[in-house]
Amino acid sequence: MGNERDANEGRRDALTKLVVVGSAAFGCALAAPAAVFVTAPLRSGGSHGERWVKTVRVTDLTEGQPKKVAIVADQRDAWTLSKDVELGAVWLTRRGDAVSAFSVVCPHLGCSINAETGNAEAGGGGFGCPCHTSAFDGTGKKVSGPSPRDMDALVTKVEGGFVLVDFRKFRIGVEERQEIG
Amino acid sequence: MSDQSLRGRVGAWLEDRTGYTSILHEMLNEPVPGGARWAYVFGSALTITFVIQAVTGVLLMTAYAPSSSTAWASVYHISFVMSGGWLVRGLHHFGSQAMVVLLALHVLQVAIYGAYKRPRELNWLFGLGLLAVTLGFALTGYLLPWDQKGYWATQVATNIAGTSPGIGPQLQTVMQGGTEYGSLTLTHFHALHVMVLPASLLGLVMVHLFLFRKHGVTPPTNADLKKVDKFFPAQVWKDLAAGLAVLGVLFALAIREHGAPLDAPADPASDYPARPEWYFLPLFQLLKYFHGPLEMVGTMGIPAIAGLYLVLLPFFDKKPTTALGPRLPLLAPLFFGIVGMGGLMFAAMSSDAADTKFQASRKVADERAKIALDLASKGIPPGGALEMVKHDPELRGRDIFEKKCAACHVLGDIGDRAKAKAPSLDGWGTEAWILQMMHDPDAKERFGSTPFAGMMPSMDVAPKDPKDAESFKPMKPEDMKAAAVFLAAQGDEPGEASPARDTAQVEAGEKIVKSRCTACHTYKGEGDDSSIEIAPDLARYGSIAWVESQVKNPATKATYREKALSAEYKGHMPRFDEELSAEDAALVARWARSHARSSSPVAAK
Repeated sequence: MGNERDANEGRRDALTKLVVVGSAAFGCALAAPAAVFVTAPLRSGGSHGERWVKTVRVTDLTEGQPKKVAIVADQRDAWTLSKDVELGAVWLTRRGDAVSAFSVVCPHLGCSINAETGNAEAGGGGFGCPCHTSAFDGTGKKVSGPSPRDMDALVTKVEGGFVLVDFRKFRIGVEERQEIG
Repeated sequence: MSDQSLRGRVGAWLEDRTGYTSILHEMLNEPVPGGARWAYVFGSALTITFVIQAVTGVLLMTAYAPSSSTAWASVYHISFVMSGGWLVRGLHHFGSQAMVVLLALHVLQVAIYGAYKRPRELNWLFGLGLLAVTLGFALTGYLLPWDQKGYWATQVATNIAGTSPGIGPQLQTVMQGGTEYGSLTLTHFHALHVMVLPASLLGLVMVHLFLFRKHGVTPPTNADLKKVDKFFPAQVWKDLAAGLAVLGVLFALAIREHGAPLDAPADPASDYPARPEWYFLPLFQLLKYFHGPLEMVGTMGIPAIAGLYLVLLPFFDKKPTTALGPRLPLLAPLFFGIVGMGGLMFAAMSSDAADTKFQASRKVADERAKIALDLASKGIPPGGALEMVKHDPELRGRDIFEKKCAACHVLGDIGDRAKAKAPSLDGWGTEAWILQMMHDPDAKERFGSTPFAGMMPSMDVAPKDPKDAESFKPMKPEDMKAAAVFLAAQGDEPGEASPARDTAQVEAGEKIVKSRCTACHTYKGEGDDSSIEIAPDLARYGSIAWVESQVKNPATKATYREKALSAEYKGHMPRFDEELSAEDAALVARWARSHARSSSPVAAK
């Protein structure tokens, strides 16, 4: 009798372990694809690399005077590919043959930066953010205010009389400039 | 001792506040008289499969967008772009089929063991409610990808609802969110699929389980009732093993098929060989046997009788025994029903397998699905997947050709060769086709079936009329060849791959065409010294401009002249510029021309 009870106890323990292991296996088997699927956005992003966008004619820019120019290109939003939509804007300033470009997005909290026409000394007007009064000089350097870094400069080139901008976006609110997908 | 450990202390704290151990004990120590059995696993396997469906379903919901312009696109995105998406959707797709299979097995087990009998009648009824809900899940879920398969198969179901006596049309309109399928149909079916049906299922399952716990299992008559197992772990491990087996099968199927199928985007204007998911095939097949006023016998009568039988079964079966033998007469309809359903399913499958027309349209549908998936990989426009497909020159060209041209012309697998009233376009404009035309213009696949039959003489076969034959001089084979090369070259477009043409032959051919063919034909508007005025212009023959002009209006002199549209040649090709937009006419012209030139003409007899 005692032996039989022991045997039953042993069988019960073994089955209990089996159930625990089986349940864990079931949970993991279901959780693994779920985890991969839920974190899919982490893998789909990443840097675009270069994205040259044609903007305005060089002759449309006045020497030393910033001009806000829309960035129009194709946009992919999940499954949708939209042709020629405004992805954002940049400030373009021509100085001689060179054209500088700054993202209009304030590195502080993402407001849209304005050109300040008032202080035109030291090589052109500066920039200012209307939200939290971050101020930048004409070369995008931070002058005052809460912005953690200078304005985000973008690379430009001139081809066939048009200004091309390598359009990118950067993380907001950090000192170090980091590109985001 | 153990009470001093952290686990013990937390357990005691929780027990004081919830009494969870007694609940747990109640649940796990439930006695199973007659012992645990594999036969009892189906209910639990269904519950476990439902958990799989719930988890994968919620995951799919995070990326699915129910509207007629986004549903297909989002399912495409899930299946082919998002990491793990194919597996999640595959598990959900095959999980739904597993639910149906397990349900059938569960019903059978309960019926055979007599577990529906007094006092378990109500639980049987709740079980039937769960069966209805599960089929509702299957039906609503099938539509959600908004692909051709789901769209057309589900139409049948809602149209059947529309034929219900009395409120049919209203019922259908409410279900669909309008008189036709559209975005509201999707939002309705989506709401049913992810909210209404799950809530109903959970409610029914709770009552079902409560009643099951109240009455316990129904052991077979030969069971040793002195043997009593506890639910945990004796039955639980068997249930879990069944659940793991189901999950394993789902993984195997999902991996083998690499997810779930996705047909081309739903296109209300297309003709599609609609078939339901396999478990609805018996119902589908039933519809073939009942026509006209009898139709409702197949759509509602027989299913209603089957449902009524299932509902009434526990109330008719009053014999106290659960032994199978004495109950066989009452269960006979169930077994016959299952055999009948199997037979109908087999009949549906074998008739499709033998139906070459179905197979051909299935092939076309698969081809379209492939093209749509290909197009989607390049990005889907904001207007949605159908717009993407409709603007694709290949698919749209074929579509217009089928609708406008294939009533008379044949090209590849499009059109009916027996009924064609216009020249076959296989290989049209190629050197080989032109040679055949010069040799035997009145063959059935050229002018033979058209009002132009007998208008063009053969270049190398003497006419039947001996008077005409007297003056007939057959064209030399090398001259025919040269003329064909020259004419084929007329259709070559710069920037397009064309066969290499021998310059000397082209030049020789030009002389022959301009001297001999212009007896009836014009070339750049010049020529034709006959008074028949029917032979077409040969300049740029076979070019995009020539075909486009012919499609828009065959009587502009660019191809044929005014007479081509006269009553004298009744049955001639009509002008299409009045029924096709300029873009569509240009598109179908390019499509037909490129497919004609890349195919070979029907072999000469």
